[in-house]
Amino acid sequence: MSLYPQFAKPNTTEQASQLLSGLSTGAVIIAGGQEIMPSVNYGHLMPSVYVDINSLKDLVGINFENNELSIGALTVHRDIQNNELVKEHVPLLSYAAQWVGGGWQVHNRGTIGGNIVSMHPLYDIIPSLLILDAEVEIISAAGTNRVSISDLLNDTSHGLGSKSILSKIIIKPMSKSLGWAYEKLKITSGGYGSANSAAIVETKNSKIISLRVSVGAVSPLPVDISSSLSSLIGNEWNDSLNDIITSKCSSLFDDALSDQQGDDQWRRSMASVMAIRSIKAALKKIE
Amino acid sequence: MGNNDENSDLYVGKSVRTLEGKGPVSGRAKYTSDFNFDGQLYAHILRSPHASADIKSIDTSAAEKISGVVKVLTGEEAAKYIDPIPHYIDPTGLGGKVATIRCLALDYVWCYGQPVAVVVAEEKRIAQYAVSKINVDYDIKDPVIDPALALREDAKPVVRDWDSNLITQLPFSNGDPEKAISSADEVIQTEVKVHRFSTQPIETRCYNAVWEAETESITLYGTVQNPHPLRNVLSKVLRMPENKIRIHAPTIGGAFGLKMHGHPEEGLMCILSKLTRRPVKWVESREECLLVGAREQVHNVELAVKKDGTITALRDNFVANTGAPSATPGWAMSFLTGLTMPGPYAVRNLDVLLSAVVTNKPGWNASRGYGKEVTAMALEISIDNAARQLGIDPLEMRCKNFIKSDQFPYDSPTGLIYDSGDYSGVLMKAAKAIDYEGWKVKQKEALKEGRYIGIGIGFELTPEGGAVPGTLVAGYDTSSVKVGPDGSVRVLTGVTSPGSGNPTGIAQIVADELGVKLDTIEVIQGDTTTCPYGFGNASGRSTIVGGGSAAKAAKKVREKIIKVAAALMEVDEKTVNLIQGNITSGDKSISLEEVCYAVYTRAYDVASVVEPPLESTATFKPGLIRHTPDENGRINPYPSYSNAGFIAITEVDIETGQTKLLKISVAHDCGKAINPILVEGQANGAISFGIGGSMSENIVFDENGRQLTNNFMDYVMPRAHDVPEILQSHHDSPNPVTYMGLKGAGEAGVGGSASAIVNSVNNALSPFGVLITDLPLTAPRVWAAIQLARKNQPQRKVA
Repeated sequence: MSLYPQFAKPNTTEQASQLLSGLSTGAVIIAGGQEIMPSVNYGHLMPSVYVDINSLKDLVGINFENNELSIGALTVHRDIQNNELVKEHVPLLSYAAQWVGGGWQVHNRGTIGGNIVSMHPLYDIIPSLLILDAEVEIISAAGTNRVSISDLLNDTSHGLGSKSILSKIIIKPMSKSLGWAYEKLKITSGGYGSANSAAIVETKNSKIISLRVSVGAVSPLPVDISSSLSSLIGNEWNDSLNDIITSKCSSLFDDALSDQQGDDQWRRSMASVMAIRSIKAALKKIE
Repeated sequence: MGNNDENSDLYVGKSVRTLEGKGPVSGRAKYTSDFNFDGQLYAHILRSPHASADIKSIDTSAAEKISGVVKVLTGEEAAKYIDPIPHYIDPTGLGGKVATIRCLALDYVWCYGQPVAVVVAEEKRIAQYAVSKINVDYDIKDPVIDPALALREDAKPVVRDWDSNLITQLPFSNGDPEKAISSADEVIQTEVKVHRFSTQPIETRCYNAVWEAETESITLYGTVQNPHPLRNVLSKVLRMPENKIRIHAPTIGGAFGLKMHGHPEEGLMCILSKLTRRPVKWVESREECLLVGAREQVHNVELAVKKDGTITALRDNFVANTGAPSATPGWAMSFLTGLTMPGPYAVRNLDVLLSAVVTNKPGWNASRGYGKEVTAMALEISIDNAARQLGIDPLEMRCKNFIKSDQFPYDSPTGLIYDSGDYSGVLMKAAKAIDYEGWKVKQKEALKEGRYIGIGIGFELTPEGGAVPGTLVAGYDTSSVKVGPDGSVRVLTGVTSPGSGNPTGIAQIVADELGVKLDTIEVIQGDTTTCPYGFGNASGRSTIVGGGSAAKAAKKVREKIIKVAAALMEVDEKTVNLIQGNITSGDKSISLEEVCYAVYTRAYDVASVVEPPLESTATFKPGLIRHTPDENGRINPYPSYSNAGFIAITEVDIETGQTKLLKISVAHDCGKAINPILVEGQANGAISFGIGGSMSENIVFDENGRQLTNNFMDYVMPRAHDVPEILQSHHDSPNPVTYMGLKGAGEAGVGGSASAIVNSVNNALSPFGVLITDLPLTAPRVWAAIQLARKNQPQRKVA
């Protein structure tokens, strides 16, 4: 907490990680500023040092190499939505980024890296990354690490803290034969999401042969619920699957959020409603 | 005068684009916060984190040591320099109790967010930082939050020297309700719970007080709806005469009642400026803006009805949770809720009892509708329930019970005198515009596909232009019309604009009355030094009394121009025409400028037929207001009774509880639309309030009375995408006692549209037997009601 914060703008990731390792907890990394600045403006956050990472070239750019799509952490939502490589290889992510809240200004300034590291339960990017089995690259003074997004969420030792930098997101391309969808329950256009679900399905002879589903905005972090829905595999879609999904989901969200947009009981129910909607929408894409 | 012919030379009745709209739209408008002065200082306020606590001590030493801090003020020190804030509407005038309202808490705090201390510093962030270094030792008490508990005999009084938590308890009764209820075919009970939702203008409040060393006076630049009355209040708070205080209210970015005065920050900035001898500015944060409360009422409505739907009596025992006492006029909204019962309905037997209660929530301020929107919600939701239970079409039920258009002026059972109206005509126009019968067919078709469409009706009677005896809420106002030697016109009014466009409406009136072009007129408002003594904007009054007084003044100036023009042209003044700035008599003509210049320069010769200058000041005082109590002690504080009918079409997603508002139709009676765009703009805004209020806006507290809703993530207002197509119709019944029949158009719409939406959702869910009267109808609440209905009626096959 400082009345007179300092500002640092390192030019390389090396400089940046060295700098961060020497700073106290009052330092913050700033990229698009969409997460930090509202807190600063409200007086809830008074950082001692702002470390501006916008000059770090390693964090910029979208590339497709070795059958992997690499998205720099500084990539803004607008570019995730419009970039041809993202649209071609991971259309689910490109589509989900359209649902990021806050309107055009946030889409133009907010970065995918900032969206991930905030680990906000209601945000729109992580649910898709989970079922795409995305990985992230993390740089610190100790070196460079590559971890899966699910490990990043679940393992606190990977917590980024204020000493590490998320540099890029690495995703394997989606097969063209897959159906995919992202469904978001948003009660009013100005409100945050109340539940969302991303789904990727593959079918053969109309039967589901693989299924990945995640649910966000219901529990403190988005959850990959694919393994709980394994009994759906082998089935052709029919309304009885609704009940299976509802029943499976009912036990998955004991820690459901309760906020002013909705209580935990409602949110828990919305998990299955949105999961069903995303699976159905994904199946429809195959048709 | 005035017509809807776009080719007419007259402006009244035309949809003229606002003269003052360019500034805000292009970013050039100067709002209060845009004013900065040499030596500008900034204030930040320390607010109570507790709903109820004793202040044992305040340690400001750490804050005072911070470089850049100029002054730290606590309640104890403030009490030496300033006096308590006089009430905008003193509760004693309505048989109530009065509390001492201070700018900073003294000894104890009675709500979350109450100002406790203030820091003034060279920079805003320094003030903010210093506030975090003030150490207050609180002895926390159990708060009183629930109004039902607040009314219990053992409840602790929120105001320590009161014997109960009742501000006032007032009956509104007429006829023999007991007999009507006991002999009714049916008595239908509905509990309507209206929640706490407020008004949130884009521009929050801001005050910048400037100490004028030369004259030892204060100029307050502020977001102020009522500059002259505030000056009177500040003279008492600051112990200074009114002529040493100037209030300047520049462009306002929305007010809706929030910027009616009595706020502690008004006096605080002034005294801080006086103490520091420098300008002191405070800009309200959104978190602070959300501290204002309104509307939270619980109604227990009983309607005595005949089988054919005729309502024979209304009983309503209602409780208003007005929060902690405040000097602003908020609390009195609950009085208006009772006074305007039973709204547009010809029910003579009335038994209404208001209990206005204080609790440890933050206090109310005025909010668009001023209590009349809650009357509409209580009545309309109850009538819909009755229609449902009687199996009568809700449109038919309303038309059956409306006061008929030939019954005006109508003496209401609470003592009001309604000027004019055609309520069933209004509602039928709204129904026709949206194809009410057609939607009934579509609804049935949709249900076959498992889609739940609802059709809902709402009606709102919104008396406007109110005047409360013994207060500076006056029914009249004053304007000056001044024409310069060059023929340009300045209109100075006592009314002000919250951004609603009334200056354009007033200019249209003056242009026609004077006979000049609209773009030669400039309307000046909101400055106590230059404008006539007036009462600002509130209660949809500005065009009624601002326009009415400006018209009177313009007529007098016109007479002078005609006289001098006749003298200059050497013709009989009866032959002189003046329209759109063209002065003619037969085939003779003369320019307006030439005549005006002559008035100022030839006062001893050809212009001696008039008294210079070309200026006139006039007051318009509408009739019908009656402040002398009748034999039952009742008064009529309003000259005009605007009204509006609404039909809302919704679709409810029964899996999520989400409601989509598909379409809404409104027919509005504002007496006479000076400028239809302005009227429609007001209705659009009011409907957006109704959408937010009925579905998503809600201010909630934890069990300790701490407010949980403190940003727009939690206080969810509708955005453009949430507002559907609005079908607007005008159905004007001119008011016989106002200029051109004006009734006011600033408020009507909040309660009517909110009720139509609530009734529409309940209508959509009628296959489940669901009736939700506990607002707002959030998705979780709607969803839970459907779940409960399904659990209770598992045999019912729906969807």
